[in-house]
Amino acid sequence: MREALLAEVLKLRRSRLPWLTAAAFAIAAAVCGLFMFILQDTGRARALGLLGDKAQLSGATADWPGYLALLAQATAVGGLLILGTLTTWLFGREFSDRTVKDLLALPTSRSAIVAAKFVVAAGWSLLLALWTTVLGLLAGMLLELPGASTAVLAAGAARMVITALLTYALTTPFALVASAGRGYLPAVGAIFAALFSSQVVAALGYGASFPYSVPGLYAGLAGPGQDAPGPLGHLLVLTVGLTGGAATMAWWRRADHDR
Amino acid sequence: MLAIETTSLTKRYREVVAVDELCLQAAPGDIYALVGLNGAGKTTLIRMLLGLITPTTGTARVLGAEVSAGDRAAWARTGYLIDTPAAYPELTVRENLHLVARLRRLPQPAARVDDVIDRLALTPYAERRARTLSMGNAQRLALAKALIHGPDLLILDEPINGLDPAGVVEIRTLLSELARENGTTVLLSSHLLAEVARLATRIAIIHQGRLLHEIDPRRLGGQVRRRLVVATRNDTRAAHALAGHGLTPEPGADAGLVLTDERALEHPEEIATALVEAGCPPTRLLVEEEDLEDFFLRLVGQADA
Repeated sequence: MREALLAEVLKLRRSRLPWLTAAAFAIAAAVCGLFMFILQDTGRARALGLLGDKAQLSGATADWPGYLALLAQATAVGGLLILGTLTTWLFGREFSDRTVKDLLALPTSRSAIVAAKFVVAAGWSLLLALWTTVLGLLAGMLLELPGASTAVLAAGAARMVITALLTYALTTPFALVASAGRGYLPAVGAIFAALFSSQVVAALGYGASFPYSVPGLYAGLAGPGQDAPGPLGHLLVLTVGLTGGAATMAWWRRADHDR
Repeated sequence: MLAIETTSLTKRYREVVAVDELCLQAAPGDIYALVGLNGAGKTTLIRMLLGLITPTTGTARVLGAEVSAGDRAAWARTGYLIDTPAAYPELTVRENLHLVARLRRLPQPAARVDDVIDRLALTPYAERRARTLSMGNAQRLALAKALIHGPDLLILDEPINGLDPAGVVEIRTLLSELARENGTTVLLSSHLLAEVARLATRIAIIHQGRLLHEIDPRRLGGQVRRRLVVATRNDTRAAHALAGHGLTPEPGADAGLVLTDERALEHPEEIATALVEAGCPPTRLLVEEEDLEDFFLRLVGQADA
């Protein structure tokens, strides 16, 4: 497992993906900061026209709890896209670059290689959540948002990290789709399908029992009046994560690698 | 112990039989070549030997271990190259090899990498990213990945594809040395039959998933067709004269006559004498022998017929 992990870290480190995903989350943090900047002054929001209207529509308040909730929501929605792409790349690139065949008859097991990819994806997802949190805290301090306290900041940071981990757990089926589909494209389609359905199902009011809606609801996407997803929602996310991981591992071990 | 042994190995994809009841054996030190047309089943066979494809029926044993996706006993001693060469494009040649050395859990990986880079003449390209390599150097890198751990068994699908003539000679020499000096078994597939004939110690002709024929190239002479090609100024008269000696001359494809009688092949000088006596001396007298390519095409043609 250690060898596979080091190999996956080297591949990720040499790719552009760490920079691209870090930049994507930085943009998300910057946009959330911009929303706060606008919300701090309603006159400024009106002067900015459409962007000001959108900022008002976000339902956020210009204080630390509102800002951290907005960041968590951005992590939930954007995270599915970004972390999904990360997982898809880790698996799909082996098929697109035709390197998968070199991983299948080695002293290191296929299960170890798959597990290493998931661990690397989880580790980088966690680092991205921390990176976004740090950027958010810096932006919040720059904006001099009111309502700061250790409890508020700790709760906000914890929500960010948990949202990212919930989102990451939902990306394991994309690994299966990228593997069985032998490339990126089918998995990218699956990411968009999951993202779209998560929004629709949440809007219909069934989000708490639809796993792909759970991270967004947990982050407070439905607004302050809505209930957070209960144990069932979290259990469903865990089930999707574990099933996706196990199915990917089983596919790598048992499928006919004939291409 | 055999290096490779398959027993009634079969792979079916619904109605298509890719490999059909294939039984073959390769002993340590053999250079065993698989030749066949596209779609003959060579790559499917190689993938089954490496546990990448599960056989429908039958078994395969590699270095004494039964092949299955879960059993990795043989893989530490097996090197392989299948299909087109592939490498991580953003990694350098050296990094690609380090990665393989790591996944193969080799002791002193840096020394192994240096050694194989030197052996495959990749030193000038060691720090270049794999995406910038020419096809020939990408093939060398793929071979380096297969050889890095000093395997007892090498399974190579089209190992000399993309190499320039000097590279072909180099790899042929390398594989021959490995088999001769280290006892490494090499199983390879190739379309380049002239190369196969020079390199292999045994050749299996695969057609429509079946083992059509197995030959020892050193004894190819005993199995190939021979014919005596005769050209004269008057072929009709020459044909009559030869028929009078109990022979069965047939018209050649372009001109002249062709004889396949054993007597004519063993004693062409008697044919020359007979033609001179008949007043139509030969302008050309040549014993032609099938090469591996002709032999292969004839067998495949017969199988199709």
